[in-house]
Amino acid sequence: MNKETEAYIAMNRFGYGATETDVRAISKTNPTSWLKAQLVPYKMPESKFTSEVAITEVMAYNQIRNQLKNASEASQDMQASLTQKRKEIVSHARDLAIESTTFSFKTSQVLQARLLDFFSNHFSISRNNLLITALAPTIEREAIAANLSLSFEDMLQAVIAHPAMLLYLNNEQSIGPNSRIGRRRKGKGLNENLAREILELHTLGVKAGYTQEDVVEFAKAITGWSVGRPHKNEPAGFKYRVSAHEPGNRVVLGKVYEQRTKQDGLRQGQNILTDLAMHPSTAQHLSYKLARHFIADQPSPKLVGEMKRVYLASQGSIPKVVSAMITHPDAWSLQNQKFKTPREFIISSCRACQLYRPKPNVFQVLELMGQGFFNAGSPAGYADTSDAWSSAQALRDRIEWAGHFAEQVKLPVSDIAKHALGPLLSAKTAETITRAESQTQAITLLLLSPEFQRR
Amino acid sequence: MKRRDFLKASAASLVMLQCPTVFAFNPIAQTKTKKVIWVMLRGALDPLHTLFPIGDPDFAGYRQSVVQPIQKSLLTLDHQFSLHPDLAFLHQLYERKEMTPVVAVASGYRERSHFDGQDQLESGLDHTQHENGWLARALNQYRGNGVAVARTVPIALRGATNDVDTWFPSSFPEADEDTLARLADMYEGDTHLAGLLEQAIEQTENPNMQMKETHRPKFPFLAQRCGELLRNEQNTSCGMLEMGGWDTHNNMSKRLSRQFSLLDEGLKNIKTELGDTWQDTLIVISSEFGRTVKLNGTGGSDHGTGGVMFFAGGAVRNLGGKLQGGQVMGTWPGLHEDQLFEKRDLMPTTDIRFWLAEALMSHWRLSPSQIKAIFPDI
Repeated sequence: MNKETEAYIAMNRFGYGATETDVRAISKTNPTSWLKAQLVPYKMPESKFTSEVAITEVMAYNQIRNQLKNASEASQDMQASLTQKRKEIVSHARDLAIESTTFSFKTSQVLQARLLDFFSNHFSISRNNLLITALAPTIEREAIAANLSLSFEDMLQAVIAHPAMLLYLNNEQSIGPNSRIGRRRKGKGLNENLAREILELHTLGVKAGYTQEDVVEFAKAITGWSVGRPHKNEPAGFKYRVSAHEPGNRVVLGKVYEQRTKQDGLRQGQNILTDLAMHPSTAQHLSYKLARHFIADQPSPKLVGEMKRVYLASQGSIPKVVSAMITHPDAWSLQNQKFKTPREFIISSCRACQLYRPKPNVFQVLELMGQGFFNAGSPAGYADTSDAWSSAQALRDRIEWAGHFAEQVKLPVSDIAKHALGPLLSAKTAETITRAESQTQAITLLLLSPEFQRR
Repeated sequence: MKRRDFLKASAASLVMLQCPTVFAFNPIAQTKTKKVIWVMLRGALDPLHTLFPIGDPDFAGYRQSVVQPIQKSLLTLDHQFSLHPDLAFLHQLYERKEMTPVVAVASGYRERSHFDGQDQLESGLDHTQHENGWLARALNQYRGNGVAVARTVPIALRGATNDVDTWFPSSFPEADEDTLARLADMYEGDTHLAGLLEQAIEQTENPNMQMKETHRPKFPFLAQRCGELLRNEQNTSCGMLEMGGWDTHNNMSKRLSRQFSLLDEGLKNIKTELGDTWQDTLIVISSEFGRTVKLNGTGGSDHGTGGVMFFAGGAVRNLGGKLQGGQVMGTWPGLHEDQLFEKRDLMPTTDIRFWLAEALMSHWRLSPSQIKAIFPDI
């Protein structure tokens, strides 16, 4: 395979498609080194909208709302300012989510942008109320992006202790039955949700041999992992509540996690997360999911096995596992085996056509195409295989969107085709676009070509 | 059957007699009048907060805090069971013998993962096959077409030999014919994309599939469209609808109240849209598994086992066999601690597939061997 083809495989399979800048950067080195060099901390712009700000704003909103509810006569002005406040919070969160996505249009670390997407979906959060809506894009920045160049354990600890995850999977309300609060308040108690999803989705994977008893024990171990309430003068972030923590030792997957002092209570959960992160089932589960995401719907057991080996040997180092994947021969197959998800299709179209502010914006388009930001509707996240995204209806959505999008593109189609697909452009597609009746139609067809739909 | 439809059906059979046998079995040529709609509730519906076993002496002990506020407005079904107040339409159907709930049911799945549970229920087998769904196998026996109100084909409808379409609201201007023709040409060497495009073009040409909507795709709207598609598409024998939002680990009372209102409104919309076809329609409502009998610490319940399913529609009146409209079916296992599954969940006493089989046998007049082909594991 010549170097140019290899470069295009690297940019498509591990990035969001080729751009002129990428082509130039890659020509100064080689495709593998170009990718590996990106596996350093992902430099994203600072954001003022942090989880702390999100929580503080939503709590303030809730307080005004409660006052309004209890007020005998709520003035219209008050009502209007409350609605305004809500809109502001929602739009701050939306802007942050859009910024995280559109940053991938221009970053030189496009592999990190892809990994951010992958892990954001691995730790999927759905916007089911105002607080989660506000917090969802912050977990991506604070717990996921910040740990992309570290180990999976670092990321796992940060994600599980992040207010967005604790609130989304109801752990802030989970109370040990024998804790101080549990004994005082009847009817309050354990909630298994977070513990179960960590085992099933985030770490070991389903059918990894854990039992219902393990779920309950783990849930007890993380009782007290909660979120501070600013209106009660607590910091707006992770808060360990000793008074909600189930006292005593816990046994998870046959291992005893002791509690001797009160502060040990917090460490119980952290130690379980450490062991889960290093578990061979987790190594297998993550290696498989990564390989399925980047390489093929059914990745080869050899590739997954090699990634798993590196995972265990490197204490779950994310850059090392990803390097193992990109240096494996499977990563360079000439056959594009992945059908792009709507997200990958939209982002790669924007990059290819250098149209960075399309109308409707990426947030709205992805919502319409069924892959909206933080809207998978389930902690399992969006599906990651071709059959989930390729249907007649989905193709229709893409055709219609591409036509609408192409009307906004200013670059000539020949330039787009040359840079975006280079040697991957087939004779058939080239012929189809030269014969098109207009630039707009030609761009539409290019974006819908088999080689642009897959990577 | 109306006279007009009868004439149409006889005309169709005349045509068939004159065709070579190859075509005589072409399912497209037949008019299928009996419809099935499967509503899949994703997230595990709480059965005890849907169909309240108020006659069970142990019930109040577990659920008093969430039952008491709505106790007076519960909708009575019989001396033992009452329906949630926000399922008023479903209750009306029950009184007209057009609805029957089945208690304490489960698929063959006994773990507690939503996603595995849903896949297994959809596949209808003891071991999930992702490309082999029960509804597709049923369609293969009935030789009808299906439609999924979804963006992609759900597992339940995968593996059908007849047409299975997907429909979901979209919002961009339609592509022009010329572009579609060029696309078809470009996809010539790519069977996967060519196949999808062909289906997509059929949809754009079919007035019933066209829909430019700015609606948020909420369940009542999707249900209405499903009803409309089934009414207008003579050869579409089944539709699948999905509704999420049932994973009520917390704040169950409020959330289920909202969910039930949407579900009830959706069912009502289906009836309105179907018009006369309602009489020939069987709606099945089920969920991957139930939830814990005891409430958890956060005003909700955790993943469980035994659940509840519903049959509804005009066709329920004529089902016969083991399914009787206007009666609560199934075997109630009791709620005493030692009657629970693993001491926490409602004990399943019958298999969902058994009831589906009963219903299909009667509604689609399928033989026992055809049923065996649909549900080989029961």
